[in-house]
Amino acid sequence: MKIGLEMHVALPTKSKLFCSCSTEQVEEPNVNICPICMGFPGSRPVLNAEAVRIAKAIATVLKCEVKDKISFIRKIYFYPDLPKSFQITQLSEAIGSKGSLAITDKDVGIRRIQIEEDPAKIVRQDNYSLIDFNRSGVPLVEIVTEPDIASEDELKEAVSTLRSVLYYIGVDVEQEVKTDLNISLGDERVEIKNVTGVRNLIYAAEYEIKRQGEIVQKGKQPEKETRSFDEQTRTTKSSRKKESEEEYGFIYEPDLTDYETSGLKVGEPIIPHEEAARISSEFGFSYKTVLELISFDRNSLSLLSKSAGKFDQKAVISTLEDLKKFDSTGIGQEGFEKLVRMSADGVTITQSIVSGIKSGREVTVKRATQDEIDAAITELLTKDRTLLEKYKENKNVVNFIVGQISRKYGLQPKDVLDRIKFIIQRMSDN
Amino acid sequence: MKSYIKEFESMDKPSGYYTELVGNLESLNTELNAFNVINKELKDGLPFSVKDNLCVKGVESRASSKILKGYIPPFDATVVSRFKEKGFGFLGKTNMDEFGFGTFGTNSEKMARNPFDPAYTAGGSSSGAAIATSIMKYHAAIAESTGGSISAPAAFCGVVGFTPTYGVISRHGLIDYSNSLDKIGFMSRSSADTRIMFDAARGRDPKDSTSLDAEIKNTKYTKLTVINQLMDGVDKDVSDRFEKLLGKLEQQGFAINRVDLPEISAAIPAYYIISMAEASTNLARYTGFKYGAKVEDFSLSYNDFFKQARTNFGTEAKRRVILGTFVRSASVRSKYYNKALKLRAMLIDRMKRVLADSMLISPTMPVKTPRLDLIEKLTPVQVYSMDVLTASPNLCGFPHISFPYDYADGMPLGVQIVADHFQDHSLMSFTDKWEESFEYKFKHNLGEL
Repeated sequence: MKIGLEMHVALPTKSKLFCSCSTEQVEEPNVNICPICMGFPGSRPVLNAEAVRIAKAIATVLKCEVKDKISFIRKIYFYPDLPKSFQITQLSEAIGSKGSLAITDKDVGIRRIQIEEDPAKIVRQDNYSLIDFNRSGVPLVEIVTEPDIASEDELKEAVSTLRSVLYYIGVDVEQEVKTDLNISLGDERVEIKNVTGVRNLIYAAEYEIKRQGEIVQKGKQPEKETRSFDEQTRTTKSSRKKESEEEYGFIYEPDLTDYETSGLKVGEPIIPHEEAARISSEFGFSYKTVLELISFDRNSLSLLSKSAGKFDQKAVISTLEDLKKFDSTGIGQEGFEKLVRMSADGVTITQSIVSGIKSGREVTVKRATQDEIDAAITELLTKDRTLLEKYKENKNVVNFIVGQISRKYGLQPKDVLDRIKFIIQRMSDN
Repeated sequence: MKSYIKEFESMDKPSGYYTELVGNLESLNTELNAFNVINKELKDGLPFSVKDNLCVKGVESRASSKILKGYIPPFDATVVSRFKEKGFGFLGKTNMDEFGFGTFGTNSEKMARNPFDPAYTAGGSSSGAAIATSIMKYHAAIAESTGGSISAPAAFCGVVGFTPTYGVISRHGLIDYSNSLDKIGFMSRSSADTRIMFDAARGRDPKDSTSLDAEIKNTKYTKLTVINQLMDGVDKDVSDRFEKLLGKLEQQGFAINRVDLPEISAAIPAYYIISMAEASTNLARYTGFKYGAKVEDFSLSYNDFFKQARTNFGTEAKRRVILGTFVRSASVRSKYYNKALKLRAMLIDRMKRVLADSMLISPTMPVKTPRLDLIEKLTPVQVYSMDVLTASPNLCGFPHISFPYDYADGMPLGVQIVADHFQDHSLMSFTDKWEESFEYKFKHNLGEL
């Protein structure tokens, strides 16, 4: 089985690739537009350097050969969403080539990373096609992999690893992401065009593996063709038999000069699975747990990197997991370490503790002896004698005591409940 | 040095000057078809005209094409805004071969006619710019050349036509023909006026990535080079008169150098392949629903809708779309498009060697001004071959200037000088000197007091 991807990822720039229009995708159609992204005669493209910088960062982190000088080409085809009837994109002089993405058992080759402009959006309404040019000219990077992915599991891992790597560059691979999926169980290449979203990508692959698998099992060969994915039925259907390659009549884009990329600063690449491996080997933490924590959380990676050597694994990990449950933005390294220490002492982290630390208040959780805790529980129970009666009918009546005591002494609710049960038993026995 | 622009600026104009000028222009225009649009509101400044493939804010700009009927750009081309900032007054849009596709001004709904005799061609594709310059005394014309579209009409209409080094003038606002070849230039009645226009317009523009701030040189060349192969296809009468000119220049102290450059034969095929390949992509955007002529039948499929829109192209435009699409198609791209790019690089290298210590000189056109009825009988290839003398400097981005040097049966003849990149001012200095001993003739002098 051979699977290759062509994933089109939107770059997080303020303005479009060739003009100064905002990239913000707003409800109202055709507001973030100008003569350039509408392809008006007389207008011409001016390259957005920030888009090239981000593309270079992607090419770098995917271990590509990065071109010092890039150039653009025109890819010509007629469709109403393409204002100039050609897309400005890259081919041989693309920003990155010959890279790789490491997954568990192999390196998935990256054939090419190319910068290109997004077409407009077609909205079908009744019998009409309406066109919204707000998206026209949004900078994209197309990531083209080699057909190195050999199973559904590898596909899932490759996609999630790629998403995680891109997350660390500030690129969100959202549900809008468009992917062309090449998948062949036989000799010929089948291409599933324009699959929207990560989940659909997996569904499309699942269906196609099953479909082609059945053909191959019958001793036949799946045909070379282009298929499309139907989100409703989660199936693919043939849209075009491929006799020959598509004809795009590429020429060099004569309105853009060669662009020097060597001066663009991209920072140290962060590769999450390499970070997880480092933390795991240096400090003996579980690779899988660490990777899960940091994949889409740069804050966790930072806290973990700085704390791993100082505390034991359980306390660090459980505190990080706790933090994800609460609003912990801006907790800081120092605050985090306080929490880890508390956690190591058996304190249950709560939102009020986190909030306290964030606001810089001195948070002290009263550490009590078993007798003190028992006394506090007994006091609450004796305040309202009917509780004991009600408890026989409905165990939930003591929930408020569980809450109060666990908050006050920083205990696990379950431990408090066990203690209440024990005391009630003792009181009833008396 | 004669400057009509300076003369105009210091001249006392009577009230009603502009009204009378516009009126006379309109009536002469019905005969000669110089203008697609005349600005009746003009009240101030030196009148400047703009080739119809340059955008003027709020004014229909359609490169003489039916497919752009009704296109009113929301912005000025950079060269237009720089002229406005200089205080020049916008006079109108000049006629041209559709999208710049032509040598004789015949590929337009209204055929351009020669101001010396309307039975003759005005040349193209900047026909209107040349006619307007030839009929108005005080006027500045913004024109554009891809493969000879300034030199050819300037020669036939007897005016000075200057095509700058590629990249020195911003192309922002130009309705593209072939982006790697298109150069905005100027026409005028004197070399001095050409210099004024060029200096007002040039310089880097952030809206055109290929534009640059270059140091423009003014070198005093004493050597003029004739490329033997270029003279092979020139009419006997034209070459005889040209030889006489060379004799005169020798007397004025220039050394005439004759060289062989057989590679120059690559210029026409390389020029047509690159220009058609790029043109066919530039024209792809005309699909009939965003601007220009609109298709109203929304029941059509996408492809049928586009097809219907594109019936508005003229014959030559259709021919170039088809040929241009062919030369860049996958199966033949390396044989045509890629090879043409290599030939262009080779030719730039060869020509720069010749231009290192001399300027090139040749007749501008290989023939005397043709009659319009004879042009109709020419095949497309015969028409394309008329660019033999203008194709190489255009293909290679070298600055060149054409100006009148003789009159045959009352019709002007043009000579073309080519210099190395960024030697634009050297060309004007040469022409300044020429004008000291030669007076240009005009049949009309609208605006004269």
